[in-house]
Formats: sequence, structure tokens, C-alpha cells
Amino acid sequence: MSLWDRIVEPDGLTTVFQPIFRIAGKQRSAYAFEALTRGPKGTNIERSDVLFEYVRRKHRESEVDLLAIGAALREARDLPGEPSLSLNVHAATLERDDSLAGSLAVLCAENAVPLERIIIEIVEHAPPWSGPQLLASLAELRSLDVRIALDDVGLGQSNFRMILDCHPNLLKIDRHFVHGCHADPHRCAVVQSIADLAVRLGGQAVAEGIEDERDLKAVTGLGIDLVQGYLLCLPRSSKDLREVGVLEEVTRP
Amino acid sequence: MRPRILIVDDEEPILLALREYFLPLQYDVDCARELEEAEALLAHVHYALLIADLRLSGSQGNEGLELIRFVRERSPWTRIVVLTGYGSAEIESEAVGRGVDAFLQKPMPLADLAEIAAALTRSTA
Repeated sequence: MSLWDRIVEPDGLTTVFQPIFRIAGKQRSAYAFEALTRGPKGTNIERSDVLFEYVRRKHRESEVDLLAIGAALREARDLPGEPSLSLNVHAATLERDDSLAGSLAVLCAENAVPLERIIIEIVEHAPPWSGPQLLASLAELRSLDVRIALDDVGLGQSNFRMILDCHPNLLKIDRHFVHGCHADPHRCAVVQSIADLAVRLGGQAVAEGIEDERDLKAVTGLGIDLVQGYLLCLPRSSKDLREVGVLEEVTRP
Repeated sequence: MRPRILIVDDEEPILLALREYFLPLQYDVDCARELEEAEALLAHVHYALLIADLRLSGSQGNEGLELIRFVRERSPWTRIVVLTGYGSAEIESEAVGRGVDAFLQKPMPLADLAEIAAALTRSTA
């Protein structure tokens, strides 16, 4: 069986989830779960970075994004509570697939997930993926009450243009800027500027890659209350997340 | 640390044979059957050595040449061996121009291939 056949077979892709927490004072609660896709078990593409590199090289982002969304929504049935669900979609898929919003609506209906819970997180948004169909796809998603997040903000050449074009509800600040920001005034300034930009555009910033308590303290000190990273919770299966009680508000030391 | 090598061939028996031969020689071995799979691995994993067939998927293309270009752009420290049963002086010249470290004709005794691999991976250590 070819590698591609392994991807498209039932259960070829699996999903783990990483919570995005909202910090309020000394407490935190799950704001959303980001769905992270894993490739077929026992293959070279089990790792998500290798999987999506392979998929991009095959120019089959659209098919795999939809398969991954389907897998995530099926797995989401076992998640605790009803926080938002953040689903990664390539900018290329938004540009090429004019039926994405409709397909998403069908998958959500099949899995009894309300569209208002969905955040579409745009990944790999390098040029030339900012054409008219991408904007039309985003408009259609918005009309369904789906929110839009932009991943890896701060990296790449097209970010400011993408921010203008996509009007994201969430700007996810890349870990490169977050990691070590507590001790680096330059990093801190970049994080602050993106957080300010998010607010001025009517959205919110999410600090990704929180692995250190001091960085957590630094970003919350800058007014960022949505955070994600290994310090707070590793990516886990929906069942594990239910068992560890990630929804419950936890008092930080 | 054991050198990690990537073997690329679309023929499963050859992949298996090379993998089983190199594993006891203290290498970590990954195998790929197609160009895109190999490129995806090379983009995210550091390899001391790539051993690739010139033609993949039974095509008339020379995917091995494409892999040489990819590796030289993305991972210049990785050594490259290309194996072929269809080699010509022109293709060998192109492979050398692209930066291959060894261009070898099939069939080749595995012991000879292992000797070349050892020399190349020693030079990168």
C-alpha cells in the first residue's frame, strides 16, 4: 500500500488536541482545543511536520486538510466540555477549494459540533496564497459564524498583508518570539506590538510555545490572556484530556 | 552518536536488503519509497548520508538528480550516494555538477557500498 493510500484509508490520520487557555488572575480555563494531526502510525509521516511537508510536496493540501478536519471532529466528540475547536487549514486550501465552507458545515453537522465553536487556523500562508478565492472562502466561513486565526504571526513575508486581508479574530504569536521573552526586551517588544495590533484590529493575541513559567508571567503581564504551550498542557488525545480534567480552573502557584 | 542514513528506492526488496545490511553496522536507518517522502524527511531530519536510486516509481525521470539538488540546498553537510542501473556519462556528469559524492552503478556488492558509506560519514563526523 502506498503512503498516500495509508493517509486516505479510514483512521489513516489521527488527532491529538492541545488546549489554549485563558488566564484570569491566578486561574486558567480551557478557551479552545487546537487539533493537531498525526500521520499513519509506523510510517515516516507519523510526525506532523513530515506529514504536511509530504502533503505540500504532493500539492494535496486540500484533500488532507478536509480529512484532518473530519478526523478531528469525530475525535472531538470525546473532548470534555464545549470549548472552541481550532482546526488548521493551509492557505492553499482556502485558495483552491471553493467548497471548503460547505464541506466544513456538513462535517460539523455529522458530528454534532456547532459551527460557532469552530476556529479555522490559517497555516503556511506564504505567497502566493492570498488570492480572491482565499478571501471568498474566508467570507463564507465568517457568514457561518466561524472565527479565523492566523498562525505563526511574526514569521514570513506576508504576515501584515495576510492580517489586512484575512481580518483574523486571533493572532497566534509564533513561539520564536515568545520563547525567552521574559529575559529579552527585544522579543518582549515584538510580542507587545503584536498583542497591541490584535487589540487595535478588534481581535485577540494568543501566545504560543509557552514552556517556561517566567515567559507565561511575561506575556500575561503584557495583557495577553490566551496562552498555549507544553508548560500548560502537552498535546493529548481527547480521552486523556477528559481524564486529566483540563477544563477545571486551576489555581497557579 | 550513530550516523543516520536515508535510503531511497522504490523497490521494496532493495530497501529491505539495504536496511538490514546497514543496521548492524551502527547506523540509524530510514527508508523512503518516493521522492516527496524523501524530501519531507530531508526537510525535517538531519542525515549524515543519503543513498538514493536514480529513478523512482519506475519512471523515466531521474528523481535522484532532483534529490541531489534538494539536499545541496537544504542540507549541504549531508553526503550523497546515487545508485543506478541506467547511468550514462551525461547523467553522471550532471550528478557530479549538482554535488553528488559518489555515483555508482548497480549491481554493486554491499560490502563496497558500506565501505564508501563509512568513508563519507567519517568525513562528516
